[in-house]
Amino acid sequence: MRKIANALLVVAGLLLAGYQLAPALAQDGAALTPPPAYTPPPKGAAPAVDTPAQREALAKWKAKAEQRTEADRKAYNSVVTPSYNFHYGPKNPFTPGNVQVQGEGFLQPGAYPSAEYCGTCHQEAYSQWRQALHSNAFRTPFYRTSVNILIRDKTRGIAFARHCDSCHNPIGVLGSALTEDSKVDRAKFDSDGLTCTTCHSVVSLDSTNGNASVKMGVPAVIVDENGERIPGEVPFDMILRHPERHSQAVMHDFLHKPEFCAACHKANLPSPLNDYKFIRAFTAYDEWQQSKFSQRNPLTFYTADFTTCQGCHMKRNPITLPDYGAKNGTLVSHRWLAGNTAVPFYYGFDQQLNKTIEFLRAGNYLNVDIFALKKAGATNSPEPDKLIAPLGKVSYSLAPSDVVEAYVVIQNKNIGHSLIPEVRDLYEAWVEFTVKDANGNEIYHSGFLKPDGMLDPRAHSFTNRPVTNEGEFVDNHKVWTIHSVAYDNSVQAGRSVLVRYQFRMPADADGAVTVTAKVNYRHLRQSYLNNIFGKDHPAYPIVEIASRSRVLKIGENAPEAADPADNPDWMRWNNLGIALLDQFQYAESIQAFTEVIKLRPSYADGYTNVGLTEIVWEKYGSARTAIRRALSLDPGNARALYYDGLLQRRAGNTEQEIADFRKVIAMFPESRDARRELGITYYQQNDNQAAMEQFEALQRIDPDDLTAHYNLSILYRRMGKPQEAAEQQAMFVDKKVDPGAPTYSLNYLRIHPEISTESIPWHLHSDLVNDVGGPQNGK
Amino acid sequence: MANSRSRGSESSHNFASIVLGLCLACLPAVSHAANNCAWLNEATASGFLGGDAVGTFTAAAAGQPAICAFVDQSAAATRTLRITVEVAADPHARMMDALARDCGADAAPLKAIGNEALVCAADDRKGGLGERVVGRVRDQVFTITIGTTLKGDPILTRDALTAKIYSAAEQVSGNLF
Repeated sequence: MRKIANALLVVAGLLLAGYQLAPALAQDGAALTPPPAYTPPPKGAAPAVDTPAQREALAKWKAKAEQRTEADRKAYNSVVTPSYNFHYGPKNPFTPGNVQVQGEGFLQPGAYPSAEYCGTCHQEAYSQWRQALHSNAFRTPFYRTSVNILIRDKTRGIAFARHCDSCHNPIGVLGSALTEDSKVDRAKFDSDGLTCTTCHSVVSLDSTNGNASVKMGVPAVIVDENGERIPGEVPFDMILRHPERHSQAVMHDFLHKPEFCAACHKANLPSPLNDYKFIRAFTAYDEWQQSKFSQRNPLTFYTADFTTCQGCHMKRNPITLPDYGAKNGTLVSHRWLAGNTAVPFYYGFDQQLNKTIEFLRAGNYLNVDIFALKKAGATNSPEPDKLIAPLGKVSYSLAPSDVVEAYVVIQNKNIGHSLIPEVRDLYEAWVEFTVKDANGNEIYHSGFLKPDGMLDPRAHSFTNRPVTNEGEFVDNHKVWTIHSVAYDNSVQAGRSVLVRYQFRMPADADGAVTVTAKVNYRHLRQSYLNNIFGKDHPAYPIVEIASRSRVLKIGENAPEAADPADNPDWMRWNNLGIALLDQFQYAESIQAFTEVIKLRPSYADGYTNVGLTEIVWEKYGSARTAIRRALSLDPGNARALYYDGLLQRRAGNTEQEIADFRKVIAMFPESRDARRELGITYYQQNDNQAAMEQFEALQRIDPDDLTAHYNLSILYRRMGKPQEAAEQQAMFVDKKVDPGAPTYSLNYLRIHPEISTESIPWHLHSDLVNDVGGPQNGK
Repeated sequence: MANSRSRGSESSHNFASIVLGLCLACLPAVSHAANNCAWLNEATASGFLGGDAVGTFTAAAAGQPAICAFVDQSAAATRTLRITVEVAADPHARMMDALARDCGADAAPLKAIGNEALVCAADDRKGGLGERVVGRVRDQVFTITIGTTLKGDPILTRDALTAKIYSAAEQVSGNLF
């Protein structure tokens, strides 16, 4: 009897731990068994019709599966619930994450069909997924190091890690693994991170709040003839007989939409995590939504075809392994190629690494333009400080000992989000600028790597610096300690940055010098790699994403042929104008946009760009002239209408102001800026209902918009909705900027002069600090 | 069309429905004192050993490493999973010492475990099979050994041990990071 009881306990333990009683399979996919034979029906063929006996058998299977799943779940919960740490209360078992699950209680890990099960028929998808970031979302040392710090933190602990693991290991979170003295066998799911049936079991998207804002269904790979889900694994022949039912169970329209990606690629640090306040962590989704690719934002500088996250990161490719999900021999990529070279490098996933590098170097995401020169402080020059631009199109001369300032314009041309997105404090993208003489000797070098692998601290880096309330850099991703961001040098989608370098031509310079600007990328920052591995780790890959070189001759330089990757001249000036605008150099920005107008006199956006710069500069009179010119060229131009609306408000022409914003919204109903401004207009007109409608629409687009929270808190109170008003007020208070935040940032910048320079938008990179025109002279 | 079935699913489901029905009454009896092992919980160790393992933890002291030991004791076999962890001033050298002592010359490198790791057989002289990993995460040198005293153990076969030792090493090193 004791032996039987022990045996039963063994199996119960196995089942509760999620063990499928299936042989183990190698993780690299090589050991997957061949797929069952299958001949797809002809395209357009009607689904197979089941006989009454088949329908009855399916109904019985479904009933058994439901009963078993429910019983397993109850039994599982009876074991794990008593010892679970309900730190945030019994109604919030997964807080600070936003993930939810259908049904009562935790969901046992064994409810999820394994990736190897799915991979039997979907071998291409499996082999890609296995090397990609989603499957490795939890187990990598890059993630484990930072989440372990949180788990070990004496003021926090594993319950707080539900915030992180809601996206990185939802099976663990939903299965109660994130508690002290966990009763869960973690080996069954930790190494699979986001397995197939995590994404493919999501039944609804709760919001675009992020932090895993989805509802997970009980996993099912097939539905019955009524569309009702049948939980768990089923025999393959059941799927192959009704592939349309398989598709109905695992495919949803939202899987193709950016809002699905937003569930995790939008994150915040809520007060239950940091005991402080809402802090925006990152939001690739909102960056995309504001980019040209969403076609939802009328204010972008450029336009593009509609492209989703999936459009770039899940391109359709020919298959090399059997996959019954393929269409015409192609499958949407389950590699999700992006910037992460660290994970494939660590795991030896060479295919993934090579394809990632290929993706980064696709050539058209960034444009690097050595746009202009200035010969600084050249008193013998007839036009000191004249901008020699655009380089390649104008003649100029250079002499030995000339102090030269190079204007490098880097455009985020075709990335659907910022450079660098998401956890940019850990990633490292920077500009490497070199000047070499005719013999290859280095005259100037910014953005070099030191012997210890650390980046030149004065390099121009597209990163940010999160700091604590003591002004200390959060070097090791202790996100719950972040109170401010000392600076953020990311380049938003469609915008450009101007990086200026100053160097002196050698006194004995002869022939020519070559200037090169490269944008390099390393995943991850060297000091973070040192945190993970100690300092004795291999050098992680550095990828050159884009670069441009120019040869500057001593003596006369004539115009030269453009490089095929160069932008047309009008765009080169336009990008300079955008960069100067973001660096608060309004006069120079307008000059640059004026050059665009000279080259393209019928380009309405040229005038709009002048107008918007003048609005920011508070020169409303000349702004009106520019915007009116834009509208005369293109009366229905939403971008120009938006800025005209702002100018009409300034002039007190409310009717026209409203008309302008309404026209913009008619063309771009998801324009958060237009919704916000029209809401403000109605608010100012005491039209509470209309204002409320606009702010509610804005809140549907962006649940975290501060203006919406603020105004709705007032409007709801006026409309007699005190509960709603209080909620909006609380959200506003939680999300608004901490007035002390600049202090934390300044404390950090004060003791890091090399970074404090980088934090000033208009800054110069130079070694000539005690010479003419160097940073000390405030240039 | 072949009447293929998912591997094990039907048999496991039939077995489960029988087992769980009988087993629910057994569940309240399944309780152990909390195990303090920081690198593996009892449920995961039980999964590796194929049974209901009981764990003990010995903190590091006086030059001795910390030790987590999990034992699944049955009449037929004693299956064990043992983890040692020590902090070393020269962790690579210390790891190589441990490797020489615990594995000899037959160790093979393991990819993507800690900073570095190697695996070797750890069979006992009476025919019981075992596998061992020696590795390090930063300055922490660890060893993991899974073994059985039962010759021809149907659960801890050589193939199963090979897969399990990697998975155990991934768990332990992940928790050490």
